[in-house]
Amino acid sequence: MTPEEKKVFMDKIHAFVGMEMAPPTKGPDDVNKAMIRHWCEVMGDANPVYTDEAFAKASSKGSIIAPPAMLQAWSLEGYPMHSPSKDEALLDNQRKLHKVFDDHGYTGVLGTNCTQEYFRDLKPGDQVIAHTVIDSISEEKATQRGIGHFIETVTRFTDQNGEKVGEMRFRVLKFIPNESNKVESAKDEGKPEVPTRIASPRGHDNAWWWQQVDKGVVPIQRCKNCQTLRHPPRSMCGECQSIEWDFIESKLEGEVFSFVELHYPKFPGYQYPLICAVISLGEGTRIVSNIVGCKPEDVKIGMKVKGKVEQVDEKTMLPQFYPA
Amino acid sequence: MAANFKDKAAIVGIANTDFSKNSGRSETQLAAECVAAALRDAGLKPSDVDGMTTFTMDTNDEIEVARAVGIGDLSFYSRVPHGGGAGTGLIHQAVMAIASGAAEVVVCYRALNGRSGHRFSSGVSGAITTADALHWGWYTPYGLLTPASWVAMYTQRYMHITGATKDSLFEVAWTTRNHAATNPAAFFYGKTFDRAEYDAQKKIVDPLSLYDCCQESDGGSCVILTTPERARDLKQPGVLVKGVGQAAAANMESMTSFYRPEIAAIPSMDLAAQQAYAQSGLTPDDIDAAIIYDAFSSIVHWQLESWGFCKKGEAHDFIMDGSLRLDGRLPFNTHGGQLSEAYIHGVNGIVEATKLVRGTSVNQPKKTVNHALVTSGVGVPTGGAILGKM
Amino acid sequence: MSNTKTVAYKAVQVGDKLPPLEIPITSSLIVGGAIASRDFTPVHHDRAAAQAGGLPDVFMNILTSNGLMGRYVTDWAGPDATVKKIDIKLGAPNLPGFVMTITGEVKAKDDATGIVDVAVVGENNVWGMHMMGTVRVALPKEA
Repeated sequence: MTPEEKKVFMDKIHAFVGMEMAPPTKGPDDVNKAMIRHWCEVMGDANPVYTDEAFAKASSKGSIIAPPAMLQAWSLEGYPMHSPSKDEALLDNQRKLHKVFDDHGYTGVLGTNCTQEYFRDLKPGDQVIAHTVIDSISEEKATQRGIGHFIETVTRFTDQNGEKVGEMRFRVLKFIPNESNKVESAKDEGKPEVPTRIASPRGHDNAWWWQQVDKGVVPIQRCKNCQTLRHPPRSMCGECQSIEWDFIESKLEGEVFSFVELHYPKFPGYQYPLICAVISLGEGTRIVSNIVGCKPEDVKIGMKVKGKVEQVDEKTMLPQFYPA
Repeated sequence: MAANFKDKAAIVGIANTDFSKNSGRSETQLAAECVAAALRDAGLKPSDVDGMTTFTMDTNDEIEVARAVGIGDLSFYSRVPHGGGAGTGLIHQAVMAIASGAAEVVVCYRALNGRSGHRFSSGVSGAITTADALHWGWYTPYGLLTPASWVAMYTQRYMHITGATKDSLFEVAWTTRNHAATNPAAFFYGKTFDRAEYDAQKKIVDPLSLYDCCQESDGGSCVILTTPERARDLKQPGVLVKGVGQAAAANMESMTSFYRPEIAAIPSMDLAAQQAYAQSGLTPDDIDAAIIYDAFSSIVHWQLESWGFCKKGEAHDFIMDGSLRLDGRLPFNTHGGQLSEAYIHGVNGIVEATKLVRGTSVNQPKKTVNHALVTSGVGVPTGGAILGKM
Repeated sequence: MSNTKTVAYKAVQVGDKLPPLEIPITSSLIVGGAIASRDFTPVHHDRAAAQAGGLPDVFMNILTSNGLMGRYVTDWAGPDATVKKIDIKLGAPNLPGFVMTITGEVKAKDDATGIVDVAVVGENNVWGMHMMGTVRVALPKEA
């Protein structure tokens, strides 16, 4: 968009702020026991005040109540939502606003936040009416998903007496999808692939090392000429410039030289809590690996550790170190 | 033998673009904007430029930027590798070009959409295609994937060896934020924090939490150097390069030099400091203010030790004495640093060091700044430069 | 299994951890949850629609995440507790085949009102954080 086009776009979207999304919507059904039970079945929610009439009556609730998280469900349109009207004149303001975004390339939509407050328990027979207002549209933001704007709506829920029973703030991101972040789509096998750890690329100077690890051995490269050990492997000995080498198998006994606990960001394929450490091996070289088999807070510099090669996911063999 | 660099070149023009999280324009445009603004600052015409240098990591070809700005014939162009370690390497290139006569007016620039484009915090991915791909492979399978994770490994060891605590990490981060709070160009302009807020931030890689980590920013920064003779005729008071060191100490890996006898220090920065002091004939006592590369709060400690402002292992006490504050022994990162102004790979720091010597920083210390230090990123091969009045 | 005992306010301490709950995510749960919450948006029941949106399969709607978060806390708090607020930040989608583990910790107490804030996180085993937030419940002073 040119700066002029951008300004027109910004004016267009900001015109929606403060508008009602649609006229107040009364739920097609009053609060009722059948829908409550259907909800509880799926959620696995066995709270007896939702479904056990006798228990509910004797409890502090006095009678059956609806699970509070159902608040919005009472006012949703239901089946017609699966094919919204194509007639632009019939669109509600929220859909009109989304269409303005869509037309400018902000085709992505993602719910990011939902805050619901409940002012009283809803009971069978109650009616729920939703009044939704487009409350704010953020400045343009750069997110991991792409460039976009956050749209926040506020819904006031009232009952048959006009009394406010709950409120919801809902935030969605309308964004221009980032090409690089697009999830691999439309794979035909049912399950998405479970991610694994990021493997080392294997090249001339390191593939042999990883091949040994695949067989359960952690090698340490040794200069054939002067016997100096080196890790990570290199093509030439820095001591004597020999290119002849072999390796020894590490006993994987050592101590923690330094370590970190990884918190953020968390990467798919890794299990957290996750500790990485630089370990000084008995053979005299160091290696970076994980410390497992103890709590993160128990890892200390100088702690003795003992390693073994383990399969850590579907595709990855790695040395892992345990407290000795 | 010390290199013959002293007073061979002067910084005559400086500029930053605006800093943001979403520049809304191309990296090439950011580069062109900061170069053109630095030329205006210097009172030079585009056609005066005959040399250009930037980071290998910069996506903007010098010839593209030259064409955009209307720069004519170039007789010198070069690139410096190693990410943030390249910053003062640009000065090093420019001084060598000017001292040798390869070029007379050299433009040093760095422009990136570091927030809205590729973010360094997103880590090294499985699709690494660079020459050092095999090197990252020693770390990625274990989950050591981000700059914060590599730096935290040194930090943990350093705190263990020296007894330094989060108190001095907080002091570093807090000081930069206070400086940013009074710098309208800074991202954190008007926004200070206290210890409770610092402690409440999410952990990134223990022992580093959010406020120990720099921002990711969109923007561009540029400095222009020429001969001292020509500098005398230009619009701004020239700022001399008194000494500049480039250094990759022995047994170096990019960010992961975990195999040296001790890792609670930065030998490459020691080496850079030795060179810059030897060239300039100056000592730590002569340095009045400093711009220390602060991608993470803890890396400031090691650099203070490398440059001899305190003994090895004593940076914690030096910092806790308030030395880095505006009224302290070594006012530092007066622009807010990369922690709090913007992350332009340290080139915004060279702009600020120049301002300190000119006397035009938005947070100019009360005392006269005759000499200011500026350093490059550490963990990678690095460097540092001492700037002084003409 | 129905929990008929309510936790008393005075028995709760800041820092108390709730027992973790593992929820296997299935197509049945996703579609069932969408329909039980009257949310017929196609991406929650129609795989082709979800794929057109860039995901490999149908994914859980927000009302179901909300419902599971509420259930998780009342499973612990008991039937006389009153849920006052659910504040939820959404992360990676829940897809069939994933397992979501929900954990919780008491973060704050207000003696005047008997209100307790429980921080809840639901992480799936494939993409990580699905939901995190706070559930605010009022507990009786004594059980």
